[in-house]
Amino acid sequence: MTTSLPETATLSRRGLLKFSLGASVFLATAGVGASLSGCSSSHPASGYKALRDSDLPMLRALIAVLLAGSQSADKMQDAVAGTLQSLDYSLDHLSPEMLKLTRQLFDVLAMPVTRGPLTGIWGAWENASAEQIRHFLARWQNSSLDLLRMGHSSLVQLVMMAWYSRAESWAHCGYPGPPKI
Amino acid sequence: MPVPDPFREGIARGWKTHDSSRLEQDLTLEADVAIIGSGAGGATSAEILSAAGYRVLLIEEGPLKTSSDFKMLEAEAYSSLYQEGIGRMTKDGAITILQGRAVGGTTLINWTSSFRTPAPTLEYWAREHGVKGHSSEEMAPWFEQMEQRLGVAPWIMPPNANNEVIRTGCEKLGYHWKVIPRNVRGCWNLGYCGMGCPVNAKQSMMVTTIPATLEKGGELLYLARAERFIFDGDKISSLQCLAMDPRCVAPNGRTITVKARHYVLAGGGINSPALLMRSNAPDPHELLGKRTFLHVVNLSAGHFKEVVNPFYGAPQSIYSDHFQWLDGTTGRMSYKLEVPPLQPALATTLLGGFGKDNALQMEQLPHTHVMLALMRDGFHPESPGGSVHLRGDGTPVLDYQVSAYTWDGLRRAFHSMAEIQFAAGAEAVMPLHSDARYVKTLAEARQMIDGLSLELYRTRLGSAHVMGGCAMGEDPKRAVTDSLGRHHQLQNLSIHDGSLFPTSIGANPQLSIYGLSAQLATALAQRLRTA
Repeated sequence: MTTSLPETATLSRRGLLKFSLGASVFLATAGVGASLSGCSSSHPASGYKALRDSDLPMLRALIAVLLAGSQSADKMQDAVAGTLQSLDYSLDHLSPEMLKLTRQLFDVLAMPVTRGPLTGIWGAWENASAEQIRHFLARWQNSSLDLLRMGHSSLVQLVMMAWYSRAESWAHCGYPGPPKI
Repeated sequence: MPVPDPFREGIARGWKTHDSSRLEQDLTLEADVAIIGSGAGGATSAEILSAAGYRVLLIEEGPLKTSSDFKMLEAEAYSSLYQEGIGRMTKDGAITILQGRAVGGTTLINWTSSFRTPAPTLEYWAREHGVKGHSSEEMAPWFEQMEQRLGVAPWIMPPNANNEVIRTGCEKLGYHWKVIPRNVRGCWNLGYCGMGCPVNAKQSMMVTTIPATLEKGGELLYLARAERFIFDGDKISSLQCLAMDPRCVAPNGRTITVKARHYVLAGGGINSPALLMRSNAPDPHELLGKRTFLHVVNLSAGHFKEVVNPFYGAPQSIYSDHFQWLDGTTGRMSYKLEVPPLQPALATTLLGGFGKDNALQMEQLPHTHVMLALMRDGFHPESPGGSVHLRGDGTPVLDYQVSAYTWDGLRRAFHSMAEIQFAAGAEAVMPLHSDARYVKTLAEARQMIDGLSLELYRTRLGSAHVMGGCAMGEDPKRAVTDSLGRHHQLQNLSIHDGSLFPTSIGANPQLSIYGLSAQLATALAQRLRTA
């Protein structure tokens, strides 16, 4: 992972770099630690092919925030469930290396030891408010760490693509669907 | 009446195909020529070599999908027809790389734009990269041959509203624009070229050169990853392939050994150099995978009062090269302007953001136009391209740094696109960047664009054209193959694909690959006869 710094940060370049390396090592260790200690298995959750039990609370909370505005509140639960199915389908087709990276990202978000310090969400995902989740997303988007900016961009892309590939999403965006052949 | 599926009919008639995912034991196959990759380079070569009487084996990592499989649904198409299940991106995750992976390669899912290699590009290769025999005059007959073979002609129907924006805007501004030649026959103007043509109108390899190869007795091996060459001195003695599962995600444990007199490598940018790297092929000057180019793309959205419906109609039919050669071949970073199709899943990631912001933009999708600029990388010292690395499991990833020189091109492209969009009547324009918003005048747009912090992740970047990494040229110190695609160090290996390009093309590359491969395969057929 490269560590590119904004040009204006030249004064504190050394300090920032140290911090970045530290955080990267921390993230990597946390990921490895999780896999070793069995916190995150690679076994899929029931009803899924790639998503694991440990991924689900975080993704449910996150998806509801990412899809806000594209569905009425009463349909949100179904939208979240559908998005999880589509996300599962695409993860199940990713190359093993990309799936591994995605799972490391999910692990970092799911495990309390990394979740708190890196997202600012100290309690369980089920209890996180939409405001807290938006705050975490903004924090990652504007982070000085490439790793977090990359994580932000992957999370948002994976979820939004999963949702808008589903027919239930099309009425909202005025897409009549593929033509009949 | 259902649309015929000639490929399935061919299989029913007895074409020789091997589905590696279903192998119950390891397999050994022999051929005169083994061709790795069934896209523009490999399949064009396969047709020519099999017509010349050679026994050809065409090897493809991806699945076999034919017209009856193509349902115009994004999730299915992206997961099954694109490299890494559409997960391919640069090492830092900042540039998404759209590259095909199925029988037919990227020709199955490209948007059909067919340009001859621009003359300034060919001149630059001859002058700076020691490429011989590829002048515009020398290439013309090969381009013409492939244009006829694949039905390449300027699009005759009116452009869809998304493309029309380029024509209207450029016309108003006195800028260059032109109709795009497309490789289609009997096109239904649907707009789903990127998901596999459901009516076999696109003249991809799937409906042209691969059937021709199989008719001549050639064989097709699919869901087989070419893992490594085995060498005997300066010759390849065999190729080891790994059989893949039906999703093309992981090897299933079976192997296929391929023995051939000659090997043609045509896996495309990234994959071709990666196979040589995995094989520890001779690379005395450390050139493999270096100078890999992407035509890095940035985008600008325009909101129109009229309905655009950017998800329907031929995806690309109008382009502008106004800015492409304005500063000469080697001046500032230059770009070609085109548009992408906007089905919802692709559209939402391009527009970016989430929650209410993204929802509001998606609500306006029928009134949204998006333009893109393709950076012509590789013609300047500050545009050296990326380099291919192997990951832990031997699969490749591209490390591509976006230089200040490139950012300058991207920023000017934002300006050019906004100018053309407003000239075409856009009510509001938004460069696709996390900090940008829709603004209603060109002056506001210019001010916003000048103020944008152009950096990775904040700027939406993509690529659909991977080129280079196994450059051709006469000097072995600077090139992996000679100008005929013959590997400089290995006797019985040729490379016939876009990885040969010493720079990017400066236009959608498919016709460049067809013409080049036709030329190289014809010469190879003659050499094999006399050797």
